[in-house]
Parts: sequence; structure tokens; C-alpha cells
Amino acid sequence: MVKHNLVPAYLLLVGVPVLGLLGILEAGRGIPAPPSIGGEWTLEFDLAAHCATPPGAILRQPAFNISQSGTEALVTLDDGHATTLEGAVNGNVLTAKSLTATIAGKKGERTLQGTMQIDGCGPVAFRAIRQAPKKGGE
Amino acid sequence: MLNLFQLVLQIAVILVAARIVGYLFQKINQPQVMGEMVAGILLGPSLLGWLAPGVSAALFPPASLSYLNALSQVGLVVFMFVVGLALNPSELHGYGHAAVLTSHVSIVAPFCLGSLTALYLYPRLSDDGVTFNHFALFMGAAMSITAFPVLARILSERGLVRSRMGTLAIACAAVDDVTGWCILAYIVVLVRVAHAARPAWVTIAGSLAYVLIMLFVVRRLLPAFERAFRKRDHLSDNLLAVIVVLVLVSALATEWLGIHLLFGAFLMGAIMPKAPEFTRYLLHKFESVTVVLLLPLFFAYTGLRTRIGVGGGRAIWFYSALVIVVAITGKLGGSMFAARLAGMPWREAAALGVLMNTRGLMELVILNIGLDIGVISPAMFSIMVLMALVTTFMTTPLLEWVYPTRLFRAQVDEIQKNVA
Repeated sequence: MVKHNLVPAYLLLVGVPVLGLLGILEAGRGIPAPPSIGGEWTLEFDLAAHCATPPGAILRQPAFNISQSGTEALVTLDDGHATTLEGAVNGNVLTAKSLTATIAGKKGERTLQGTMQIDGCGPVAFRAIRQAPKKGGE
Repeated sequence: MLNLFQLVLQIAVILVAARIVGYLFQKINQPQVMGEMVAGILLGPSLLGWLAPGVSAALFPPASLSYLNALSQVGLVVFMFVVGLALNPSELHGYGHAAVLTSHVSIVAPFCLGSLTALYLYPRLSDDGVTFNHFALFMGAAMSITAFPVLARILSERGLVRSRMGTLAIACAAVDDVTGWCILAYIVVLVRVAHAARPAWVTIAGSLAYVLIMLFVVRRLLPAFERAFRKRDHLSDNLLAVIVVLVLVSALATEWLGIHLLFGAFLMGAIMPKAPEFTRYLLHKFESVTVVLLLPLFFAYTGLRTRIGVGGGRAIWFYSALVIVVAITGKLGGSMFAARLAGMPWREAAALGVLMNTRGLMELVILNIGLDIGVISPAMFSIMVLMALVTTFMTTPLLEWVYPTRLFRAQVDEIQKNVA
């Protein structure tokens, strides 16, 4: 069918979709995505917290790792048992089972500030700083 | 620290699982590699980690996976060399317009549909650490890939390589492979340049210089291996070691340039001399250890990163169904439509579309690169792995339904009669 009209067929079936692709890329530029919080985080606890065991002795640094997929976040604590907490990102708030934090800062310098429930302590205020994210794979 | 006992135990468990599941899949007319891919998934959190989390944690503790990953990456380097080696540009001769049109449409259609789907999935499964353009381009590339090695194996196991459909499918898949890897290299460079301290011009100019050196200098030296092979009907261990070193140096060059190890290995294979006896000899030398030992490790490592149905609720299943439908529509539909327009009868065009829709192991390779460079999230990775499994699994039964083997065989007999 197209044997003798390869060029027009090629333009129609390949060229036009490529133009469409450029349109898609342009249209997608303004789409907002949840703030990036994936990676390893180091924690600073409120020194005024009254705990049987200091929180710093329960969690080693980096204290947790977050595996993020859009608004879903899986927080893995480095507490010796690799306890995992399923969480969600709503706007700039991260909520997991025993952790609530506000996400702040630019992409490369994200921080979390909130409270965390630790055995023998009650809610403890914390501030977390993300270690260099792994985007780019280098 | 390396726990040798644990690593050897992991390898043994992976190989046993791969052989058993591969055998069972062969019993239901699926290629062995499909079973090996599924075995990898079964060893991960999707089944073993879900059914027996204690056993899974003891057998595959997260700290031990870096060794498994290192071994599987070495396997992939050799495998990509083998894939490049098996590519033969002369297979395109005689299929000019049909192969070019069909293969390019079979890339562009799923690429555009994949990017279009990204408009919906980006705010749901990505984050602001990845730009929309990088996410959409990667989705497009991952949707448009064809598993050249799996496709060749399906055709070979069914004795269909010499049929008109078989040769055209292989030619189209070869074009797809080269184009797909070029697009992916471009995307990897884009993503890495955006996050690396190295200036973009170093990567771009370096990549260009590397390709020119490979095509116009290294390629001209490689026939020396073929001449040595012809003299003695085999290559000495020293010459084989030189080939391995060349593959590794090429892989290191592309990794250093910021593209990826695998592109260098693939290009080295692609520019090797293509005399059939020489290619067969090298394939025989390199393929066995890779296919039997190292690829199952890659499948297991992929499976350990895949969490099908774990977390995400019903929405994940909806996203999975959407991605699968889009992938099939773009690849199968696009290839079939283009082949029909190029003058093929409907039945043959549909069979070609089914074959081109095979994603297989090449998709897993690409997805692992995407997850490593952070352009897709773990959930997106799992969804795409599921899509790769579904599209690979459906190939054999759908092909038998669309174009039964007896029709293929009749075509092969007809070609042989005409040759005689």
C-alpha cells in the first residue's frame, strides 16, 4: 500500500506523533509533583525530651530511610529491627504511623520538622536533614 | 563486610529457583527466560518476603544485596555485549521500507502514548526531584523497547526464524534495539547532567568522540580477531581475554562519560565482525555462563526491588492496568498498523505486532537503570516490571492464536522450495 508513498506515510506516522510528543512535554511542564523526600535522613532530637533511654541511643544515624513513590512513603528506621512505617505525603506534610513532620526547604536541601513517638519517651520533637539525594545515580 | 557463605547460598537458591520455574514455564510453552524472570520476582518481597518475611530477611538481608548487584551488573555487561554481537545489519537487506516504517512507528507510537500517560502518572507516582520531561521521556523509552533476544529465542524455539515474518520481526527488533538504546542513552545523559557537577559539554563531546573512535578506529582493528579465528578455527584464551578487556574498557568509557556501562558493552558487540561462524563461536563462549549463572542473579536482584501488590492500595492496580493497556496498544497496535500500511496482510501484520510487543529482559535492564538514576519511583518500577512480565507472557499464546505454527511452517516450506 505504502510501498510507493513511503515518505508521506513516514511523515504522517512518525513526524506527526513526534510533534505531538513535543506538545506533551510542553503541557507537562507546569504539572506539580509531591515534594521529594526519598533518601537517608539524619535526626536531631529535642534535648529537653525526658526519656528512659536517649532517642539517639535507640536510632543510629542516618536514623531513617524514606522510599518514596509519589504521595506514598515507606519510612525504614535504623533501630536494629529495620522497623517500617507506611506513610503519606499530603501537601508539605508527611504522616506515618508514629511520625508527623512538615517538609521544608528547596529540593536539594530538604528538612523535616515534627514529632515522633518513641518507646519510653512519648512524643519527641525532632528535626531531620536529608543526606545528598541519589538522583542521577552517580 | 562480605559474607561469602551468605552470597554462595543466595546464588545457589537463585539458580535452583530459576531452573525449576524456567522448566515449569517451558512446560506451558513459554520461553525459559520468562520462567527465570518470574523466579526472580517470586524470591522478592512480592511473594517470599510476603509469605515468609523472616526467611526472606535472613536469606536476602538488604546489606548483602550490593554483592549480588555487582555480580549481576558484570553479567549484564557481558550480556549486552552478546546482544550487540547478535545484531546483524545485513538482516535488514531486502526488508527496506517495511522494516524501517514498521520499526520506527513501533517506537514512536508507544513512546508518545507512554509520554501521554506520564501526564496522569507524574503527579501520582513521581516527585519534584524529577522533572516532568525526564519522567515522560523515560516512560516513552521504556514503553517502546522490544526484547530482541527473547523475541529471537521465541522464534528459534518454534523453528520460525527463517519464515518471512520471523526475519522481518528480527530486522524490526534490531532497528528498535539500536534506536531504543540511543534514546535511552540520551535520557540518561539528560538526567545525569542535570544532577552532576560535570559540565554537559564534557559528556556530549566525550560521547561523540567515543562513538567516532569506536566506529572508525576500533572497528577497523577488530577483523584481526576474525582472521585469527579463521586460521585455527578457534581463538586462544589470550585473545578471548583481550576481547573481554575491550568490552570492559568500552563499558568503563561510557560509564565515565555519564551514559552507562551497558551502552559501551552493547556498542562493542555491535561493531564486532559479523561472519556467522565467528559470531556463533563468540556467542557460544560468552553466552553459557551469562545465561545460566549471571542473568538469573540479575532477575533475582530485580525481583528483590519489585513489590508487586505491596502497598499503594487499589490505585496501584489501576495504574498497572493502565500502563499495560497503553504499552500493548502502542507497541502491538502501532507495529500492526504500520506493517499493514506497508503492505502486509492483516494476519501477518498482527503477528508482527504480537512479536514486537515482547518486552522481556531488555525492559528489566532499562527499568533498573531508571530506578538507579532515580527517574522512576519504586512503585513505578514495580508497575513497569509487571507490564514487562505480562507483555512477554502473552506473546506465545497470542502468536499461536493470531498466526498458528502450521501457517508459519507452510511459509518456511514454501521459501525452502523456492530456494531449491
